[in-house]
Amino acid sequence: MVPVNPGTILILNEMVRTLFKNSIWIFLIVSMTGCLEDSKQSDNISEDGSSDRKEMLTFWAESMILPGYLEFDSHMETLALRANAFAASPNSQNLGSLREAWKNAYLNWQKVEMYEVGPAEKYTLRSFFNIYPADVAGIESNISDPTANLELPGAYARQGFPALDFLINGVGANDQAIIAYYQEQNLGSKRLAYLTKLTIRMDGMLSNVISEWNGAYKEEFINKTGLDIGSSTAGMVNAYVLYYERHVRSGKIGIPSGATIAASGVPNPDKIEAFYSEEISRELAQTAQKSFEDFFNGAAGSKTGPSLKSYLNSLGAKDPSTGKLLSDYINEQFVVIDTRLNQLTPSLYNQILTDNQPMVSLYNEMQKLVRILKVDMTSAMSITITYTDNDGD
Amino acid sequence: MMVTNTASKLHTFLTKTTSCAPLAVFRMLFGLLMFVSMIRFWWKGWIHEFFISPKYHFSFYGFEWVQPWGEYTYVLFIIAAGSAGLIALGLWYRSATIIFFLSFTYIELMDKTTYLNHYYFISLISFLMIFLPAHACFGLDARNNKNLNSSGIPAWTTLSIKVMVVILYFYAGLAKLNSDWLLKALPMKIWLPAKNDLPLIGDLFDELWVAYAFSWIGCIYDLSIGFLLSYRPTRVIAFLSVIAFHLLTSLLFPIGMFPYIMIFTAMIFFSEGFHEKQLQRIGKALRFSQSFLSSDHTYRYSKPASRFILTIFTFFFMIQLLLPFRYWLYPGELFWTEEGYRFSWRVMLMEKMGTATFVVKDSSGKVIEVNNSEFLTPQQEKMMATQPDMMLEFAHILRDYFSSRGMENPQVFVDSYVSLNGRIGRPLVKPGVDLSKENESFLPKYWITPFHDEIKGL
Repeated sequence: MVPVNPGTILILNEMVRTLFKNSIWIFLIVSMTGCLEDSKQSDNISEDGSSDRKEMLTFWAESMILPGYLEFDSHMETLALRANAFAASPNSQNLGSLREAWKNAYLNWQKVEMYEVGPAEKYTLRSFFNIYPADVAGIESNISDPTANLELPGAYARQGFPALDFLINGVGANDQAIIAYYQEQNLGSKRLAYLTKLTIRMDGMLSNVISEWNGAYKEEFINKTGLDIGSSTAGMVNAYVLYYERHVRSGKIGIPSGATIAASGVPNPDKIEAFYSEEISRELAQTAQKSFEDFFNGAAGSKTGPSLKSYLNSLGAKDPSTGKLLSDYINEQFVVIDTRLNQLTPSLYNQILTDNQPMVSLYNEMQKLVRILKVDMTSAMSITITYTDNDGD
Repeated sequence: MMVTNTASKLHTFLTKTTSCAPLAVFRMLFGLLMFVSMIRFWWKGWIHEFFISPKYHFSFYGFEWVQPWGEYTYVLFIIAAGSAGLIALGLWYRSATIIFFLSFTYIELMDKTTYLNHYYFISLISFLMIFLPAHACFGLDARNNKNLNSSGIPAWTTLSIKVMVVILYFYAGLAKLNSDWLLKALPMKIWLPAKNDLPLIGDLFDELWVAYAFSWIGCIYDLSIGFLLSYRPTRVIAFLSVIAFHLLTSLLFPIGMFPYIMIFTAMIFFSEGFHEKQLQRIGKALRFSQSFLSSDHTYRYSKPASRFILTIFTFFFMIQLLLPFRYWLYPGELFWTEEGYRFSWRVMLMEKMGTATFVVKDSSGKVIEVNNSEFLTPQQEKMMATQPDMMLEFAHILRDYFSSRGMENPQVFVDSYVSLNGRIGRPLVKPGVDLSKENESFLPKYWITPFHDEIKGL
């Protein structure tokens, strides 16, 4: 038997008596609550859209992230096949088709690079796929030492798309020279081996990420509906904003143009993305920017689903002094950035050398977007940004 | 006539006695809760996280000399926990309350970024307790000293704790009388949907009327609860609502021990009879002698002592009543500048978030962008990014750091961006101002940008 403290009984007694004494008030309060309940259909916080995070997470996983990876994977497979074909017979035709596959894969990578959550975060996919500028000396040393460890942070810039860019576009002044590079007697076969090793390695890492998404992780992602640290929404928003701040704003525009404070105005045109095929550098940035915007707006191909935009709208996130929706501020800033980005020359290298100012202005507009996402959006969503600044820019 | 009348009323007020039981029960609960709080703080690893691992600390103006003791900070917590335990036992009470007040307040002052209103409340209560005879019954001091053991104490002593509680709630309610809180349901409208995935009640948090209901009920609750607890007919229902209110807020918001402290503190409003019965029961269970449990002695202060204490208390409560209004002396919007924001029972009033990028320039034109995380912990950075006085202090930390590294005459600028209650972000500090040249003071800070909107009300 549990001994009951008589004091507890006493206080309970007193409470119950008072409750009855005050029953009229309680009745009034309860009936008032009932009235309020009736009117709830019309008075939602939401402007439109649903605030159900599970729906949003489901759409992200099933209609954006996984299909994005699958499409990217098909390009990666083609890339690996063509690298093999080139290794089998390094001629100019095979080089051309390898380059085409590389470009398509690289453009597709821009659509999925932001999804660095869950498996991609675990494997730090970005670190192995797109750290640039490529480490040319490191690549050459890895070629002569086939046992070189590619897992170490020091090896990031010796692999991935930037290393492939060097290997298929940067090792000679023209196609003839490039093919000669691979036909060289002593090192040719080692060079080819490194090329195929890199593509196979990338394809394998991506397969791991995809199979984890297809396995238990998808359910886990969809069911962690909170907003605390460790929840899927907070994790995705952190990854999303971090990606834009470091890898779009700083990586693609800020560092090469010298617009970041750290660069203190000194341009580094050789730090652009795809340095050895500079003519696609703007297209890569445009693809990344467009995919970033599509993710915000929930645009997955032809369909539109629950997104950050619809979630913010459902929260009624708007500036109380102007009444303007936060998602409108964000989309307007997207338009400003798109316009400036489209005005650049296709080669960002040339743009920086001939007229760097548009790059700097674009950086400043991207910085405005970073702040709206990092402060206004996370504040509206009650999410904490947990990644810290690093020395990347 | 008037004067004598008032004087005699005052005399009656001061000589009126009450049972010692409510204050003794309060003493035990307070001591116990503080003991648990200190242990919890340790157990969560916060002593290390907040006071040992950070390289720099943010000081309160005038209390720059209050710094953590490195690894010995643990000793400070042992002292605070130990004295809290002594308070609960009623042993060496006067020394224990003094030591607890000093050690707890020291801890509170070590880093401004850990400021919480309820820590301030605990400091104030422990200060009051130094002067109160909460050890006059049902404690080891009273057991050891027959002359101390009393059943009656001056009524104003218990009253002082109640007055402090009433002030806390009432001022917290006054602070909610503003247009954002009442007319726009901000920040509740932002915070509640974050919990919409809770089972059963989650869906409610998407409803606009729920955000308004939380705001209005919260405001009315704060304004009235102190008085409802004081008034006998409403006391029980008020106490039930204290429990419901604080448990609900603890479910929704990360506010730690605060709800429990307030629930236990509110028990001091219960009748003398209630508390006496509790003490009799516990006493009997512990086989305390009847002579110890019911003394016929009444605790009285000596004349000089009571005069001294009443003078201190008068000043204390005058400060309590006035301090929250000091913000009227500053231009600009309080929520934006936060000049006069702390120590005023402004709890969970706004959603404020920001980023602050610091730039250091030297006379040769060299520019360095500061990586905040090299200097501050994430918690410190987060607090600093929305509060001008902390930005200034950080600017000084940077100035001193870079001069010690040989930089000549470093200038420090901050590029800040702050959002308040959903308003699109703006700079909080004027971008061209060299903060290395500005000094902290109680004067208005001209270098804070004006707020671009208006929040009406208190």
